[in-house]
Amino acid sequence: MKNSIFTAALLVSFAIAFQSCQNVISVDLNKANPQIVIEGKVTDQPGPYTVTISKTGNYFDPVLEFPPVSGAAAIISDKEGNTDTLRETAAGTYITSALRGITGRTYSLTVISEGKTYNGVSFLPRKVFIDSLSATSFHAPGGNKVYEINITFTDPPETKNYYRVVLHINSLPPDSVADGRYYLYTDKLFNGNTITQEIRFRNDVNIIHPGDTLTVDLLSIDEATYNYFNTLKDIVGENDRNISASPANPNTNLSNGSLGYFSAYAIDSKSIILN
Amino acid sequence: MKLNLLLFIVLCELSVFFPVYATAQNTFSFSGTIRNSETGEALIGASVFVEELKTVGTTTNAYGFYSLTIPQGTYTLRIQFIGFKTKRDTIVLDRDQTINFALHEESVNVGEVVISAERSNNNVTSTEISTNKLDVKELQSVPVLFGEKDVLKTIQLLPGIEAAGEGNTGFFARGGGADENLILLDEAPVYNPSHILGFMSVFNSDAIKDVKIMTGGIPAEYGGRLSSVLDIHTNDGNEKFFDGSGGIGLLASRLMVEGPIVKDEGSFLLSGRRTYADLFLKLSSDTTINRSSLYFYDMNGKVNYRLGNDDRIFLSGYFGKDNFSFGDFIGFNWGNSTGTLRWNHIWGSRLFSNASFIFSDYEYSNYSNVGTSNFELTSGIRDLNFKTDFDYFIQPRNTLKFGFDLIYHTFNPGQITTSGASAITAATIAQKYAAENAAYVSHEIELLPVVSVQYGVRFSTFTLLGPGTAFSYDAAGDVLDSASYGSGTPIKTYMNLEPRFAMTYLLDESNSIKASYTRTVQYLHQLSNSTTTNPNALWIPSSNNVQPLFADQVSLGYFRNFFDNSYETSLEVYYKNMEHLIDYKNGADLRLNPNVESQLVFGRGWSYGAEFLVKKKFGALTGWISYTLSRTDRQFPGVNNGQPYPANQDRTHDISVVLMYDYNAHWNFSATWVYYTGNAVTFPSGDYSVDGRAPIPYYTERNGYRMPAYHRLDLSVTYNFSGNSNLNFSLYNAYDRMNPYLIYFQKTDTTPPSTQAIQVTIFPIIPSVTYNFKF
Repeated sequence: MKNSIFTAALLVSFAIAFQSCQNVISVDLNKANPQIVIEGKVTDQPGPYTVTISKTGNYFDPVLEFPPVSGAAAIISDKEGNTDTLRETAAGTYITSALRGITGRTYSLTVISEGKTYNGVSFLPRKVFIDSLSATSFHAPGGNKVYEINITFTDPPETKNYYRVVLHINSLPPDSVADGRYYLYTDKLFNGNTITQEIRFRNDVNIIHPGDTLTVDLLSIDEATYNYFNTLKDIVGENDRNISASPANPNTNLSNGSLGYFSAYAIDSKSIILN
Repeated sequence: MKLNLLLFIVLCELSVFFPVYATAQNTFSFSGTIRNSETGEALIGASVFVEELKTVGTTTNAYGFYSLTIPQGTYTLRIQFIGFKTKRDTIVLDRDQTINFALHEESVNVGEVVISAERSNNNVTSTEISTNKLDVKELQSVPVLFGEKDVLKTIQLLPGIEAAGEGNTGFFARGGGADENLILLDEAPVYNPSHILGFMSVFNSDAIKDVKIMTGGIPAEYGGRLSSVLDIHTNDGNEKFFDGSGGIGLLASRLMVEGPIVKDEGSFLLSGRRTYADLFLKLSSDTTINRSSLYFYDMNGKVNYRLGNDDRIFLSGYFGKDNFSFGDFIGFNWGNSTGTLRWNHIWGSRLFSNASFIFSDYEYSNYSNVGTSNFELTSGIRDLNFKTDFDYFIQPRNTLKFGFDLIYHTFNPGQITTSGASAITAATIAQKYAAENAAYVSHEIELLPVVSVQYGVRFSTFTLLGPGTAFSYDAAGDVLDSASYGSGTPIKTYMNLEPRFAMTYLLDESNSIKASYTRTVQYLHQLSNSTTTNPNALWIPSSNNVQPLFADQVSLGYFRNFFDNSYETSLEVYYKNMEHLIDYKNGADLRLNPNVESQLVFGRGWSYGAEFLVKKKFGALTGWISYTLSRTDRQFPGVNNGQPYPANQDRTHDISVVLMYDYNAHWNFSATWVYYTGNAVTFPSGDYSVDGRAPIPYYTERNGYRMPAYHRLDLSVTYNFSGNSNLNFSLYNAYDRMNPYLIYFQKTDTTPPSTQAIQVTIFPIIPSVTYNFKF
């Protein structure tokens, strides 16, 4: 991934040096049959937990529209015999009533819609806490302010661990400063160590002001969720710009051809004031 | 069993033919070297004919050596080579003897267009099929991007060879991958033949003597790559006097000097090149950009010395490096270095040998210097290679070639080093070692006056050697088991017989039908997340998890010359099947991954097509038209629901037109036009929303779409001054076609947001000027 960024940087330099051009073009795309998209989450925080069900749209429709799927049956259960049948509170949005996510348990999602059944399984991993959080800033050559966030946590040695970091600034939508990047980590290279992950973002569009609160969520996710986001990342790219050479749909843990994912995860959050 | 039978046949052939010819009465051999009289350069592919024996003739090998064995007598020899005056000599053959020839270059004086009296029909009569040669003049005349003459871009205009991308030196041969081409520079394999991310090749065209590209009918002396052989020989240096040449271009300047060490016994050649594209960056007002670097340089050096009539020693070296950095933050550089020591020896007058000791190294490195995370990542491959090739000239049109090739590879898959208080942990993926050895025999013989065959076999072995750990993986890519091996212990060995066969049936002097069968095996694999040549591509060996690549190819061709051999035409059809091809799992992690083999999926591919070529080699107007109609598919389990899909490089139509016109001694014009079907690409057929994010593209089929067709016209005008200098003006993409380099999809900034497709064109019309000089 890093190398494709270098490659992109080199191409950008070429673009500057040789005045390459970018044009909006019209591409004739096939219209795929609408496909079901399921997104389900269970966390170690108190519920209710949400499952959303929708359908794919046509790529070049003038407005991004994804029809919600109503009237489906959605059930989340664990292996200890707890089962929760979700209620549809808005078109395509289904929520749990009593289920409580517990770390160390495995959760199953079953969705029945239009005569087809879709299943997904996810493990809610042990929660890894943020040991410390710090933020500094400097001016990059060119003048923009760059924030550098250091998140320190201690990886449990006995298991394979996977992490996702989500950034919140005040009331802005999550990851507004991420330019569409996903912050994903595996302990492959730091198993059992205390590690500081550095995240850097530029305040290009002046959405950050001194005194703003940055909240960092450290999500302990399972391998399937990591694989999903790691492959999703390749096709959405930065700035919602897709430049992958041979793109493919993300690796999902849902059966029967459904898009989306079902993920159980634990969250630890810490906040800091930016200067 | 089949292979044993084949070996048996080969051995029978040898035992039958050898004694007969060796004991024939009253025959003598004469042999020698054919050179350029002005510079002493050996000429490759020059012909020697015996006029009294109508069908008897031979051509010189890569070192300018020829040998003929004929009955005692007095003969008139005709020696000819394109671009040189034909020479006739009378010899009295009553003993074995050495006869060297020197040919005069055809003069290119003002107001005179020289027409060579004799034209060869070698292309019709030889057993070479799917083979093209470029002469130096073609290489110098064809217009290319930035006015930088480039052998890798010029060969892309030949049938069966596809450009890997806009302005790119990478190429695909008959549906093969960009890593399946054996690129030899004076016998030494070059791992990454490109500079500046593929926009220029590492071959400095000033020093090139001979270029041959084979996409099928590959003789047994070549091996190790699946799809093609590009065999490049460079000048050895002027043996008569000191001279030099150079050029000042838009992107790069180059200089070459050559001369005798001892007149007529030894010479040297030195050439160098450096780009100054980075100067454009310095003009930028952005401090990140103007502190960036973007340049390469390369140097070639050669020395050769003749020890008497029978021995010649060559020492040559190449060193090139690319450097790129973005501000002070990140950068990367890569480079090839090769060193070659060669020894030619003539045993008696019929056996020629060349022994080569070759060192080849490719290294890639990138670094980052941001805040506390500084690191440098290096990877590469290094070869030590010893090989010896023998050419045994048994009889006219009866030549045996045999030899062996021993290579010791060292793979460095990746190493991170840090300095100071870096937050990054230093890490090393264990180096890998392998021995790749081969022995071959190849016999070319005229069985009947109208039937010639070349058949041979290459026996290749590949052993992955310890120290190292071999892993095995389950379907999910998790380690099932591992085993450690000590230093020098074989981890995995492959052995393969690669039969090669080609035959020509002469219908008459200007018409022939040819056929060939080639099996090739490749033990090295390039992993790259890009579809074009990429410096960070990683080479890995075959192993217990990764099988060698196999290809079987059959070709059938009809060759015909018109108007006294001044027009050459050919029509070839081929079918090629490829096994154990590599692709990557979705989300594959290729960098610094000790279990990189678990990230791969294996499948197969095939390619078939028809290639048509018309070439005019003589007169004021020369050039060629090539048209390829082809289909290339891939099939991988788990990709595209297991159904075959078109490979990225599947191109239905590929047309090249090359015209070169010598108006007079001062003015030369040239033009090329290319057209090809757009690459097969994957576009979204729908979109959706997850994780609060939209649009996420939804894909339904692999490579189900096409980029728009690519076409481009290049023009070039050269004015030759009365001295030996010239000024070249060229236009790349003369009618400013907006060819797509990349198409991507993105969310619009409108409210509400929608989606759009963006086409990136990297090279619109580009004029360039180059001044070339000789002294």
